[in-house]
Amino acid sequence: MTDAAPKLRILIDHDLCVGNGQCVGLAPDVFRHDENVQSTVIDPAGAPVTIIVQAASYCPTGAIRVENADTGDVLFPPSE
Amino acid sequence: MTTLDYDLDDLFAPDVIANPYPLLGHLRESAPVHWNERYQLWVITRYDDLVWLVRHNELFSSAVIRSDQRPPYPPIDPEDTPLAAHVRDFRADQLVEQDRPEHTAMRGAVHAYFTPTAMEKWRPFVRAAVHDLLDQVIDHGEMDVLSSLAAPLPVRVITRMMGVPPEDQDTLRDLADKLLYINRGESYRMKPLMEGIRGMIDYVAPRVDQRRANPGEDFISVLAEAEGRGIFTRHQVLVNTALLLFAGHETTMNLICNGTLALLRHPDQWAALCADPAGRVRVATEECLRYDPPVKSTQRIATADVPLRSQVIKAGDRLRWFIAAANRDPEAFDQPDRFDITRQPNPHVSFGSGMHYCLGATLARVEGQEVFRALAERLPSLRLRPGTLEYQPSIQFRSLKALPVEWDR
Repeated sequence: MTDAAPKLRILIDHDLCVGNGQCVGLAPDVFRHDENVQSTVIDPAGAPVTIIVQAASYCPTGAIRVENADTGDVLFPPSE
Repeated sequence: MTTLDYDLDDLFAPDVIANPYPLLGHLRESAPVHWNERYQLWVITRYDDLVWLVRHNELFSSAVIRSDQRPPYPPIDPEDTPLAAHVRDFRADQLVEQDRPEHTAMRGAVHAYFTPTAMEKWRPFVRAAVHDLLDQVIDHGEMDVLSSLAAPLPVRVITRMMGVPPEDQDTLRDLADKLLYINRGESYRMKPLMEGIRGMIDYVAPRVDQRRANPGEDFISVLAEAEGRGIFTRHQVLVNTALLLFAGHETTMNLICNGTLALLRHPDQWAALCADPAGRVRVATEECLRYDPPVKSTQRIATADVPLRSQVIKAGDRLRWFIAAANRDPEAFDQPDRFDITRQPNPHVSFGSGMHYCLGATLARVEGQEVFRALAERLPSLRLRPGTLEYQPSIQFRSLKALPVEWDR
């Protein structure tokens, strides 16, 4: 594998985020809780893509969306 | 301001059990952080306060059972005090009673099983079960929603999740009925509760040994594997399998019954759902969850002195936060007493918030959506039968004892 990891855009919907903390637990260098105990992105390159997608999939309210920042391809959620 | 002719602290008063909303609304308006002298606990009723305190788990511990040595409330039969000690030991090992750091490891071990993606895979099974249960009564023209649909559905799902044979459903239903005495008001409640706990331990224990030897895809295997990694003790495996049965059963029953009742009491909303069941059911289910939530309240115990509004909650004080009050807070919801199946956004707190956000939320949603959709598709003439509805005397759960309905054959 010579491909560099894709640059990610990670979007968190604060209408949905309940501060469950699965994302922070799985990827603490990517996600951090703000003063409202809601998730914010501190570094979209702070963990391998597979871990970030797993963190998004572990969100109990589906508040996290992960895109390839260059192509716009959606890595999570999967299309139905 | 509303006038109430009953004691603001009597949370088990028959009028309050029948309809808690006037009392909770009164407290939310006039005393949002209220010391309940009768039960020696704080009652929290505003949306913002609830969300804030639930997310600040460092100030408000979930280990209420372990930390709080006061006797059960309302009082139990005196001869049952030894049983209460057993019940306390059992409940203290529930995942919902854990704080960090133990909670993080325990939840981490089971969380993958319950992700939205994983739970969506259960939808075909749930849909088939709903239609099968309706097939059994559809020619009768009437049913009790609780006993014909709301109670058997989650038991079918949980039986399969536990990886045990379908013919064990009656056994598990009987055990679940006994476990449902948790947080009820009857003075004799420790006896059936202890029977349920002992029965559940006897049922699950040999199956854990079997899963340790031959793991499968089921929930007991998930816990058994976590036991192998030292995250759960054997007692915690047994307790939390029982929690799956109990929590998944009672709450889903209440969602189905309370949601059906709300829909049928608002014929315009029911007609709107029947006009487009598949398109409207997801948003409608959220409104059912908000309007008359399965869980009315949950508890915490303060770990430090915490100022909140004009009060100071002292370290060691118990508190109960009322979902049923926060979901009707006009600061959070426009026309909160209106049942509107198109309400969006709908940030209700029926599954709680923060690190203890309901593990089974997606499963509950799937079950509610499939039931309301099937009822709207197959029984659009559904209506309530005349009579008075009764609720279980619980401070925690909003549980109908029966919900008789009828339809045109």
